Amino acid sequence: MKFGVVRFPGSCDDVDALLAASRVGEAELLWHADRDLRGADAVIVPGGFSYGDYLRAGAIARLSPVMEEVERFGRHGGLVLGICNGFQVLCEAGLLSGALLPNTSLRFTCRQVELEVVNASTAWTGACAVGDRLSIPAKHTTGRYWAPDPVLDELEANNQVVLRYAAGENFNGSARDIAGVCNAAGNVVGLMPHPEHAVDPLTGSADGLQLFLSAARVPVG
Amino acid sequence: VANVHVGRLVELDVPDAARVPEMCEKLLANPLIEDYEIVA
Repeated sequence: MKFGVVRFPGSCDDVDALLAASRVGEAELLWHADRDLRGADAVIVPGGFSYGDYLRAGAIARLSPVMEEVERFGRHGGLVLGICNGFQVLCEAGLLSGALLPNTSLRFTCRQVELEVVNASTAWTGACAVGDRLSIPAKHTTGRYWAPDPVLDELEANNQVVLRYAAGENFNGSARDIAGVCNAAGNVVGLMPHPEHAVDPLTGSADGLQLFLSAARVPVG
Repeated sequence: VANVHVGRLVELDVPDAARVPEMCEKLLANPLIEDYEIVA
């Protein structure tokens, strides 16, 4: 399994994503201005920022050359994971439903959160079981997941809610405690918390590794 | 204090104003979460 990790101007979790992916497969950085996915079997759109996010988080990045390819890749079944800013980019690109609004606190918050796995049959959660709890950090200002109620109903009916904040953990005010969603096919997943920062017990938790292991298990080709 | 609104103002010089609605839909606003108004 070869992972490609996108690097935008402003990405700051790209190297951690690269190192996390390297634990379970090959991993290479993908430059935002290139259209080449370098033969990646799975693409990670990492956290941090992109092009300053001045207009709206992820709005400019979704129009970058590399994202045109990632969008095509994702729509044809390629494995794509968006983390934090990457989640915002995938929502802006329309690969995932909904949008991310400012936290209800209107403040940047960095904390360890407990997540519950709701769907363990996506490409990125196949190594988990439904009901598993993952302890991974979250750090953002604009992470309140939102979609109109009919869209939320549809996501739940189609089992597209992948991760929820456990009871008492929904610090940003996300609708229905949603921390991560997937597309209908389950190959594209986005979440606000950062699994790439939780891959070694030395830094508090290795629970995030489950997402990378899940993708590494998916048969290539 | 009541009815405070903070918004974003984007000023553009464009040769063809007919394209502005499309610009708003595709980039300048996210219609799912933002309203917009075009003022010539």
